[in-house]
Amino acid sequence: MRKLIFITGIITVFLILVFIPGKKWARGHVNYITAVDDHPLICINCHLYNSNSHLISKIVNRDYLSPINIAVSNDGKKLYVTAQDADKLFVIDVAEEKILNKIDVGHKPYGVIIDRPEKYAYVTNQWSDNVTVIDLAEMKVVDTLSTGNGPAGLSFSSDGSVLYVVNSYSNDLTVIDLAEGVEIKRLNTGNNPTGIQLSPNGKDLYITARRAIIVPYGEPMATELTLVDDESQRLRSFLPVESAYLMENIAFSPSGDLAFVTLIRPKNLLPTLQVERGWMMNHGFGVIEQNGDGRIIQLLIDEPQAYYPDPFDIVITKDGKKAFISSSGVNMISVIDIDSVRNLIAESTPEMLSLWANHLGVSSRYVMKRIPTGANPKGLTLSPDGKYLYVAEHLNDKIGIISTETLTRTGEINLSTSERVTVLRRGRQLLNNAGRTFQNQYSCYTCHPDEHEDGLVYNMASKDMGRNVTNTQSLREIGDTPPFKWNGKNQTVYKQDGMRFSTVLTRTEQFPYNDLDAISSYIMRGNPYPPNLQFNPDGILNEVQLRGKKIFERTKDNFGREIPVNNRCVTCHPAPYYTNRQPFDVSTLAVSDDSIVFDTPHLNNIYASPPYLHDGRAHTLEEIWTRYGRDDKHGVTGDMTKIELNEMIEYLKSLRGPAYESSKINIQNASMNH
Amino acid sequence: MLRNLIAKDIIILSFTVSVILLTACGRNSMEGMVILTEGRLTMVNPDYITGQGWRNLPQSQLTAIDPSNPSAVADVLTSDFYSASSPDISFDGSKIIFAAQKNQDDPWQIWEMDLRKLSSRQVTKLQDDCVDPVYLPGNKMVFSRQIQNDSLKAGYTLFSCNLDGSELRRLTFNPHTFFASSILKDGRIIAISRQVFPSVSKANYMVLRPDGTKAELFYDCTEGNELVSNCQETVDGKIYFIEREQTAGKSRIVSIDYNRPLHSRKPVSGTDGDYTSVLSMSDGSFLVAGRIGTDKKFVLYTYDMKNGKTGSKLYESADNDIIDALLVKAYERPRKLPSEVDFGVKTGLMLCQNINVTGMNSPETGFSLPLADKIEIIGVDSSLGFVKVESDGSVYLKVAADMPFRIRTLDSKGSVVNGPGGWYYLRPNERRGCIGCHEDSEMVPANRYAVAVSKNPVSVPVHFEGVKEKEVELE
Repeated sequence: MRKLIFITGIITVFLILVFIPGKKWARGHVNYITAVDDHPLICINCHLYNSNSHLISKIVNRDYLSPINIAVSNDGKKLYVTAQDADKLFVIDVAEEKILNKIDVGHKPYGVIIDRPEKYAYVTNQWSDNVTVIDLAEMKVVDTLSTGNGPAGLSFSSDGSVLYVVNSYSNDLTVIDLAEGVEIKRLNTGNNPTGIQLSPNGKDLYITARRAIIVPYGEPMATELTLVDDESQRLRSFLPVESAYLMENIAFSPSGDLAFVTLIRPKNLLPTLQVERGWMMNHGFGVIEQNGDGRIIQLLIDEPQAYYPDPFDIVITKDGKKAFISSSGVNMISVIDIDSVRNLIAESTPEMLSLWANHLGVSSRYVMKRIPTGANPKGLTLSPDGKYLYVAEHLNDKIGIISTETLTRTGEINLSTSERVTVLRRGRQLLNNAGRTFQNQYSCYTCHPDEHEDGLVYNMASKDMGRNVTNTQSLREIGDTPPFKWNGKNQTVYKQDGMRFSTVLTRTEQFPYNDLDAISSYIMRGNPYPPNLQFNPDGILNEVQLRGKKIFERTKDNFGREIPVNNRCVTCHPAPYYTNRQPFDVSTLAVSDDSIVFDTPHLNNIYASPPYLHDGRAHTLEEIWTRYGRDDKHGVTGDMTKIELNEMIEYLKSLRGPAYESSKINIQNASMNH
Repeated sequence: MLRNLIAKDIIILSFTVSVILLTACGRNSMEGMVILTEGRLTMVNPDYITGQGWRNLPQSQLTAIDPSNPSAVADVLTSDFYSASSPDISFDGSKIIFAAQKNQDDPWQIWEMDLRKLSSRQVTKLQDDCVDPVYLPGNKMVFSRQIQNDSLKAGYTLFSCNLDGSELRRLTFNPHTFFASSILKDGRIIAISRQVFPSVSKANYMVLRPDGTKAELFYDCTEGNELVSNCQETVDGKIYFIEREQTAGKSRIVSIDYNRPLHSRKPVSGTDGDYTSVLSMSDGSFLVAGRIGTDKKFVLYTYDMKNGKTGSKLYESADNDIIDALLVKAYERPRKLPSEVDFGVKTGLMLCQNINVTGMNSPETGFSLPLADKIEIIGVDSSLGFVKVESDGSVYLKVAADMPFRIRTLDSKGSVVNGPGGWYYLRPNERRGCIGCHEDSEMVPANRYAVAVSKNPVSVPVHFEGVKEKEVELE
């Protein structure tokens, strides 16, 4: 007994000795990570959900489907749904509300289209660079058609013989001869195209774009619609849509006199002074007149004290009376009265139309209703009889059913057997939702579409206005690349998204800590890089890239002089993330910048993040050195020939996410099997 | 032995359950009750400057009724006060704050009452009258405080403080008087505001953040009417309040939409009665305090808001008018907004994107005012200086914090083009933008780089330079 008491005493003393300082240490550690002193001491929030371990990740997470786009059969009895995170096409019996088939397709399926005889379905695989062809009678894959990089939207030609596929990463349009099953042509498009629609008269294809044309900061922005002639399959023109970007999808009125495109009107050229009165982001649609000179009119769907961010898809009823827009950032469908839009345009002078593009009150003229949906509504389609609108509730794993007569959500089709929402999923829902921004004006997704970046430069105005403009950074796989921000001021994602974030950016109450944990976990661990199929499809560098790699890793310049260690590319940009996570002065401070040193950015998939440098002044990788790095402080390049510089840039473009270099995980190669 | 142990456990368990039940009972003892402010109204000419005959009524009192048993005698909650009015319920429904005079000659102060114990404690201990308190998230409150002999010539200004009275902060600095605050679900304060200098204007609803920043017009009261109640925001996005005709002595219930408050006014009732307040109940129904038909006094009615019909008389005080009503219940805490105010900084920054954008220009008729060459910033007692307008119409100012100012535009000859507009003030470290001068308030700015921000801001007052202040942290 005495022995037991003695042992218990020893253990108690030991626990006290460990517990008290241990708790104190843990408190200090959590305070450092979260940059606050009252975050709950719950170790699993970081050490479980943010774990790098595949085993732990497997245990705490689960697979989701993430439906993104929908097609409907001619008789309206079946829905075809691309499930982006399941790499499958779901075939759904509408009447029975049940899944008939789950067909394996490529990686990250995006768009789906059914041919007129309803013989085949075509599914774009955004991370496989191909289109899966599915025989609808057999419900099996019969062919795989190669495309450009990042295939997204797709359309048939007017005679059905050609399939057009929009390549969202390589900024072009693949033209596929369906009889031969091969790409016969590739046409340039705007920047980061996604949506495509053939006009009702069968003459023109309109292709949307998400990223703006890169211009020096301060110059007016515009994003291009691409117009292609269907008959000749030739580029007709680019139509700049001023002050707008993130044009995801487009739809025509049945008569073909108007085309409607979803869009966002950012305020990146204004200092971020306030959210009130629409000073940060506005959301709406463009109306492209097909008669006359093709005038483009922009109208907002926002209201003076309420915003409807991240419009994704738009469909129009067969009678041409209503348009439905999925406002994915607020889980709403905005219903537009098209006759009211027509009346407004008809009665407005050009000056008034210009005013309406920046007016929050005018939406009351044409927005009929807002219909709540499940999380993150994306793709839309109408039943052939026009009675129902089907909504791909992307982060809800459901298809919402909306009556077009009562304008209410009347049902849903659940694609998943589990309702469990993991921490990462919750984080993803939060990142895609504007609920934690004042009056829902924008979500994280708005500036970080696809958890990447929007290609714009902003004036955050935390100090004086007009100073310290910053290029938006990608959120992909940043978990192991702290610190964050261009000045490296935030040591963790927690700090980045915590109190200061709400004070200077979202301007409403900060995330509750459980939500902050979830969104931080998602940002740190939930966003894999897409495969770099454009510049490094199989991990084998070509000769040019190999020469570029040698230059990147060199220790001596072309004259045989030793390059100081701190001025070698590879010193600051070592694999696997190509950052040493250290601050450095690379001599790119602008006159309008306060004196800072720059956090060394990571370089994986750097090809996909123009413009470059902290203020986006370099429009291409080349310009980093040809225009802004001539003093050899951002690596020694002054001795290089133009060819050598280009070779190094080719190598930089080949850099890809570390997971693709791993022998254990090779998503990219797996995706190529389809 | 075992039996004894079980019996002992049962006794302990019973005691614990009883304590829990009693505690729970006590906590919810007033849930669902309606707390009324009763007093003698003198609504003939309510004084917006002093609040007399309107906000702070002598010998007013707080009473409580059970709306499901209105015939029961009302409980007087403030019998030990000379006057008490304008209660607001805490977010958990357990307490109220209210304005009261302990004795006849005391200044009105803010008190907090625990509804379970019905005990009160004084929150503010100031020499000036303090009325219309409202709970803010974060154990704070906002209230109206009378400013006497103030150079700004304001009547009541808004202040905030902690619920123990500490951290008293003035929020509004323009020569306006503020009454009848409420808090919107988005976390902003909404209050009746009326300019009192240089001329007295009609009362409107203004909104501002709880740190006093971003004060702006929310609802522009229709001509000939006065606002006489605080706002009731409902779950369906409506905001209800009372508008009173200045001359006829009649009033009506009005609704606006939160999403578009300036252009969604909808009279719910006719002017067949006179109302003092509207209350939204938990089940979606409404109560109004009104004097309808042959009523001699303001009494409490049920109200069918959908059809604009007065329902049954719910409660009538023997001697008093019912001035306002409050439902005892817990409700969702509004957003706790972060603050950009930094008291180490002595200025605020303001950007006007294009001073020539004005609602007076008409794209329909083509009429436009001459272009402005400069602006004059006007203080309460003197001009604060002239600032040259940039080629694109932009102006970038660094203004001494908490100082009211107005702006008017001038052409190259110095003649007035437009203005002066309404009063502004900037809190320490506040950043603020405006699109133009007297512009349509539903407009958003164009996405255009302003020439003015490529330069340093102009200090206002223009001689106000070299201010040694805290370096703002770079994000």
